[in-house]
Amino acid sequence: MEAIERNLREEAKRLLAEKKVDVIVGYEAGTLPLTATPTFITDPAEAERLVWNPLCVHNLAKYVHDVITQHRNSQKRVKPESRTRKVVGVVARGCTSRSIILHLQERQYGREDIVIIGVPCQGYIDRKKLSVSLNGEEVLSGTIEGDEIKVMTGTGEKRLRLSDVLADNCITCRFNNPIISDVSLGEPASAMKAEEEFNEVNAFEQLSSDERWAYFEKEMAKCIRCYACRQACPSCYCPECFVEQSRPQWVGIGGDASDTQVFQIMRIFHMVGRCVDCGSCIAVCPMGVDLRKFLKKLDKDAFELFGSRAGSSLEDPPVLSTFKEHECEDFIYNP
Amino acid sequence: MEKRLIKKDALAGIPKKIRENFTVFAPVKVEDNVVFKELEPQEEPLVGHYQNTKNAPKGVFFPRTEVMMRYVRTPKGVQLKGIEMAAADAVLFGVRPCDARSFALLDLLFDQEKYKDPYYIAKREKATVVTLACARVPYRTCFCTSVEGGPLDGKGSDVLITDLGTDFLVEFLTPKGEKLGSYFEGTPASEEAEKKKEEVKQKAEGEIVSHIPAREIKPILDVNFDHPFWDTIHKKCLACGTCTYLCPTCHCFDISDEMKYDDGRRLRNWDSCMYPLFTKETSGHNPRPTQKERWRQRTMHKFKYYVDNFNAIACVGCGRCVMYCPVNIDIRKIVEDISKLQ
Repeated sequence: MEAIERNLREEAKRLLAEKKVDVIVGYEAGTLPLTATPTFITDPAEAERLVWNPLCVHNLAKYVHDVITQHRNSQKRVKPESRTRKVVGVVARGCTSRSIILHLQERQYGREDIVIIGVPCQGYIDRKKLSVSLNGEEVLSGTIEGDEIKVMTGTGEKRLRLSDVLADNCITCRFNNPIISDVSLGEPASAMKAEEEFNEVNAFEQLSSDERWAYFEKEMAKCIRCYACRQACPSCYCPECFVEQSRPQWVGIGGDASDTQVFQIMRIFHMVGRCVDCGSCIAVCPMGVDLRKFLKKLDKDAFELFGSRAGSSLEDPPVLSTFKEHECEDFIYNP
Repeated sequence: MEKRLIKKDALAGIPKKIRENFTVFAPVKVEDNVVFKELEPQEEPLVGHYQNTKNAPKGVFFPRTEVMMRYVRTPKGVQLKGIEMAAADAVLFGVRPCDARSFALLDLLFDQEKYKDPYYIAKREKATVVTLACARVPYRTCFCTSVEGGPLDGKGSDVLITDLGTDFLVEFLTPKGEKLGSYFEGTPASEEAEKKKEEVKQKAEGEIVSHIPAREIKPILDVNFDHPFWDTIHKKCLACGTCTYLCPTCHCFDISDEMKYDDGRRLRNWDSCMYPLFTKETSGHNPRPTQKERWRQRTMHKFKYYVDNFNAIACVGCGRCVMYCPVNIDIRKIVEDISKLQ
């Protein structure tokens, strides 16, 4: 891990110094113990701030999209001959690279607009799991040593196994190495428990529709409509979300449970064949809403019905934006 | 002002007794979160064994959404059906001093000479705030002493309970608080208790490790609206509403009408300066078009505009935005960085 981090800093410094990129989107240490936070490096000397460890939670493809889109918008009023391009370097693990592939397939930016610094990934720490395993005690300081996390809390030192606090999506991740990259750091990461990927969804499917609905209602009742999930999601990049449209207004902004459900259902359904299971929406949710159950179900459907996995290959376009002749549509004729 | 000592094991039973006559709001453990909410009949409040609630208690007086009025569309025009301002007698039990202070700050805005907000005032007047002082400082991110508060501060509270180790000291700070006197059976507090409280206070204040130059940055903010510093905060901001929704003092709201056939209702909802719709005008123009201007607004509102308007900082130092920002934008660092601007 330390070797990768060192290489990462050198690589970032080189890319910036050689002007191959205008900015590097990566992670730096946060202001709270055991946290990392997204950062934007433009000065080669600042590359030392970059980190790569199991505290790096966010899918940075979201920021790649943001930076390029904002730059493009800023160029709209510039004469065509004076327009500039902004090349973004990004620290990308498996899920980030899948989101980038999805962006490329959805024509959000070109391959020439990005430089992908691929990093192997063995999963990130789920802060909510960490907090639960510490009985809600505040982390005063902490370090990660191999497979173990050493945490200091008000009641003393605690040692936790890293594998016990990894995010659910990481534990069963099938794509923990970058699918595409320009620079590849470190040895490929060893496989996670991909065969258990759909266990939770399979169990959920066994419930009656009433039970599933009750679970959906219970989870959505926690939502405070802060939209952190949507904002963190690399696949949620509409310039204007339907919840913010007012002519007509599709969803009320009040506390009505059905409005919240409509927002979440619509967002979830927009993710068919587009969710890379990076877990960002869950990681950023302040209320701990279990969105993954529903997103993973659609992921499973897209895979089992169409053999498609979002962003798993540049050649395999998103399932709902393609039509293949052999795809059977019997259901239309034989409902 | 009366002061009483009550036995330590007596505290847990008090909210239950109060519940017989009042609507009680208190910290409750719901799944993995401790939230401040109205107690349901079978719910047990957490008393003493929690740090602070995830959400701020401001929602009791200023709910995330509330109906302001109802109306009906008729062939003769729109007719008002009623204004909803009813509030129940309520007790907020186990508020932390920082959050109680937020009520005093919100009063400055919602209950000022020039504007009186009847919806807020109706609920606020009927509520009694029982605060549990922080004899142990809950988090390393707490910075109440930097924003004119303190772990044992009674501002905004009607009753203040302080853990003295052997007993609880109960101080009835207002006439409203004194009315709850009968629920707190105990003995009159001696001068010794006073002294002990002072010790607890010194100790608790010493436990606070986060300090920010909150007042000091006001003159800097006064003259640096266009400083390049404002380009440095927002880049990683997700533009979600977590910080503003969890903040005890954020109070921006949006009013919207909802119609179902001919029945309409006017709603007041929390707004957030982090949202793209915030201050967006009907024409489509937004004076705060990007996250940069929105972050400047949030910082200025707390540390400059509120000081200009009410000579008070609109931050109580609870640290919620620091702890729960999904991308670790840290207001402590922002204020610190501003204090170093030339």
